[in-house]
Amino acid sequence: MRLTREQRRLRDDGTPAQRKAMQILLALSRLSEAERLVPITSAHVSGASYKMIGDPGLEFLEDFARDARVTVPTTVNPLGTDLRQWRELGIPAEFAGKQERIARAYESMGVRPSFTCTPYLVGARPSFGEHVAWAGKQERIARAYQSMGVRPSYTCTPYLVGARPSFGEHVAWAESNAVCFANSVLGARTNREGGPSALAAAIVGATPEYGLHKDEGRSPTVRVNVTTKPHGLDFSLIGLVAGQQVGDGLPFFRGFRGSEEDLKWLGAALASTGACAMFHLDDLTPEARRARTAGLPSLTISRADLVQAQRSFTPEARRARTAGLPSLTISRADLVQAQRSFTDGTKADVIALGSPQLSGQELWSVADRVRRKPPRIPVWVFTSRAVRDENPEPVAAIESHGGRVLADTCLEVTLLEHRFGTVATPSGKAAYYLPSLCKQKVILDELDALLERYG
Amino acid sequence: MKLRGRGIASGFAEGIAFVIRVPFSFVGGADPATGTVLDAATGGANERLDGRIFAFPHGKGSTVGSYVIYGLAKRGVGPAGIVNSAAEGIVAVGAILAGIPMVDHIDVGGLENGDTVRIDGDRGTVELPGVRARPVVSVVLRNGGRILLVRRSPSVGTFRGRWSVISGSIEGREDPKSRAIREVREETGLRGIRFRANAAPIHARDGATMFVVHPFLFDAPSRRVRLDWENVEHRWIRPEEIGRYETVPRLPDVVAAVLRMGRES
Repeated sequence: MRLTREQRRLRDDGTPAQRKAMQILLALSRLSEAERLVPITSAHVSGASYKMIGDPGLEFLEDFARDARVTVPTTVNPLGTDLRQWRELGIPAEFAGKQERIARAYESMGVRPSFTCTPYLVGARPSFGEHVAWAGKQERIARAYQSMGVRPSYTCTPYLVGARPSFGEHVAWAESNAVCFANSVLGARTNREGGPSALAAAIVGATPEYGLHKDEGRSPTVRVNVTTKPHGLDFSLIGLVAGQQVGDGLPFFRGFRGSEEDLKWLGAALASTGACAMFHLDDLTPEARRARTAGLPSLTISRADLVQAQRSFTPEARRARTAGLPSLTISRADLVQAQRSFTDGTKADVIALGSPQLSGQELWSVADRVRRKPPRIPVWVFTSRAVRDENPEPVAAIESHGGRVLADTCLEVTLLEHRFGTVATPSGKAAYYLPSLCKQKVILDELDALLERYG
Repeated sequence: MKLRGRGIASGFAEGIAFVIRVPFSFVGGADPATGTVLDAATGGANERLDGRIFAFPHGKGSTVGSYVIYGLAKRGVGPAGIVNSAAEGIVAVGAILAGIPMVDHIDVGGLENGDTVRIDGDRGTVELPGVRARPVVSVVLRNGGRILLVRRSPSVGTFRGRWSVISGSIEGREDPKSRAIREVREETGLRGIRFRANAAPIHARDGATMFVVHPFLFDAPSRRVRLDWENVEHRWIRPEEIGRYETVPRLPDVVAAVLRMGRES
């Protein structure tokens, strides 16, 4: 293992938290046979919702925060509730109190108080050099405030929370959808980090170099031919179907195009049913041209697969379908099928939009739609605090039409189960996780179709 | 005896072994307040982790497990040390956060409940002061998809009447492979066997003796076997039939390991 002088210093003479962080990175290097730590420009940490990490996580984070400080711009995943609206949501006071303590522990480590699963959507897109200097100075301002005893507000300006890496930058991100987006759409490089390993990387400023940090780890392993032209919900459905088939492989998609937001939904679903950390999309994603696909197995997803996926989704069905087909084609019929297989509810109690959190543009589009067709049942919209604050107009429109725009938290890590039995959502990732994490029934459909049905 | 593995979390610990044969999740698998084992599938429900050297194949389940290990140690009810066959990130990170010495690349199949164990997380070693190592070779002979089982004679020193493969003790600094070839010739009379594969040593316990088994796979040119005094009966079986025989300890693992290596090479 080759270490820099600074890394050796942290290992031998650092603060207790720095030494722990180095020990974690060195042990993970041994497990993955990494030969060195690669410097990172940002970190994104998972494990912030009290619902997910419970008292053991809270206890560790509060202890660790005594002397742990991050050295690169670091964001953290959504909390278990909106810290400002928890009473209105009927969240128990003990839950909210412990959630607040987790948030405060992260903040005192210097983590940006933007609790988001879409760090790539928040803030501007500075160039590489600019990013580091800018964030570094902002960090010093934030630290100065903190050392004066000022508690950072959740109302951050976007430049405070921007963590959008450029092509080829190494980062250490947890949160599967963010990992998939960073690798695939931005061409940044990260493995699927765990919460503590991303935190250790944030403290040291480096992460073990293996897997997706290296060129050879980014080659596709399977071709996926999509024979239908996708729009809206279809991107989630393609992700659900392909993830089931591809497992921990690296798919090379062919046959369609999509916006950045479309690919966010595709990646989030792909990383839910599969352990995918990256995909290529022919002619579109930055590394697709370089990728060699000759001789790879291929598979086709049709509309029928998607219909199947939307129909009631069971673990047995998943196991049966992963039986390693050498080639997959996804057609229109597959998409319809997928949609049915992920739907097991009949009557929705709430329409939930998030998982991952919505972008500003998506907020505007939701506002337009609920204005045209006000819903009879609650509409809960999940976004980051920064995006919510940047877009007061659509937020007001959604909330005046029976909706609620929640920040700091997201769909499956918040407490929904105490209020709603059946959730209608266009998110493939939510459709995948809600039945297990929240014991809920799901209706997976387009927002327009849901507003038509419940308007 | 001393087993050589890989250091994962530094420090030295000594304690009484608590050994399970299945992967373990600290989330749901242990009570975070008391360190009492909850998971019945371990065969060790209601055991306490407190102060024990906890040996299991590898971790599984939720990543919150790292924090549970930390909490156990903080309350003073966590294991004194952890031994894995193959560590993964959740338990490795948890052991580091908690300051619990941990070693992996140890075949935990050779450890038993109640063993006194000393582990050194810096050197990557596991010491069993009450146990004596006895290195042996075990040779799986294969012919046309069948493998040779022999039944041990009432006159041999250990495991009388059990089914085994061709085996023998390694003397001094002898090369295990030449010992393997010699044992085949003595016990079966077969000549012209061809080496196919060997596998990492497997640990099989018999009281205070640890058999360090070096598994080998050879192809035999024929099935004409002439037994010597050490065995009383032989059968050429399909590998999947091994479960029907009462065998020496861990023979199915030995057979599976060399056949897997044989396929890969």
